[in-house]
Amino acid sequence: MTLPKGFGSSGAGGASSSDVERMIGRRVENMTGMITLSYIAAWAATFGGTAAGYFYYPWAYPTNSGHYAFIVLTIIEAIGYLFCVKVMEEGSKKNSNGLIAGVIGATAVGTVILSLYVGF
Amino acid sequence: MAQMPALIPKEVEIQRLKKIWLIVIAMGSTAASVEVDNFVDGSLHQTSIRDSAFTPAHWWLYSHFITLPLGWAAAAIYDRKVPVLRGPNNSINTGLKMTILGYLATMFTIGVNEMWHFWFVEEIFAVPNHWMFNMGVVVAFMGALAYVVRVYARLVELGAETPGENPYVAEMYKMALEGKLYSRAIP
Repeated sequence: MTLPKGFGSSGAGGASSSDVERMIGRRVENMTGMITLSYIAAWAATFGGTAAGYFYYPWAYPTNSGHYAFIVLTIIEAIGYLFCVKVMEEGSKKNSNGLIAGVIGATAVGTVILSLYVGF
Repeated sequence: MAQMPALIPKEVEIQRLKKIWLIVIAMGSTAASVEVDNFVDGSLHQTSIRDSAFTPAHWWLYSHFITLPLGWAAAAIYDRKVPVLRGPNNSINTGLKMTILGYLATMFTIGVNEMWHFWFVEEIFAVPNHWMFNMGVVVAFMGALAYVVRVYARLVELGAETPGENPYVAEMYKMALEGKLYSRAIP
């Protein structure tokens, strides 16, 4: 197997386990924290985007429409978040089901509270 | 399934394919949300025939014309690290080529669209200025599907994903691995 420049020992032979580690970089099963933060950021940005709609353009975008979009998008984002973490951790010994349940539950409660009290 | 040459260690390839998969899932979420906005946008045009590109239902709809090309560009850049995903003569993957061409057509037509609507204040889906717009999106999605299926098929071949039980689906994965999902002539 030909390895990229800088890998392997003096040009000959296969990849050692340290070579494989260097070629991989951060493993996908260790990206759960980054994925979780991205999901929360996307959820917050979704609220910000819809809120900008019904605060600045209330004649074109009623608050109810904004909350509809916010709720639907939150559901879609939550499904994407779930898929991301589960697919990245499958085949490894890692298990973040508790974290996923906590984060999705928290955003679900947050979505309901924001939709009930903001923008009316 | 077809035996593909191992140019990088299996573990490295699985990790890289899954990083591409992360981008694909994020873009899938975007595409799913735009399907919802088709209805939001449709209901807006029930009352407001032609309005600014900056009304909220359009922010939502048009945001995917920014998100998806940027996402596919990220996939195309990272894709170079996975030899099995290269196109003919070590060029960019054929599916990604189709995706880029489709979005280029769409971007060009955004300008055409605005010129048309300067004179004709309507929002009928079938008017000629929308043709290349809609066809561009379809071409982009077709290319993206070919690419996504190929990534998944390779993950199946490497043992990181479960193969499809339906023989027709399995055949589709096999064709995708050989780069012949849409054409037997163009790999």
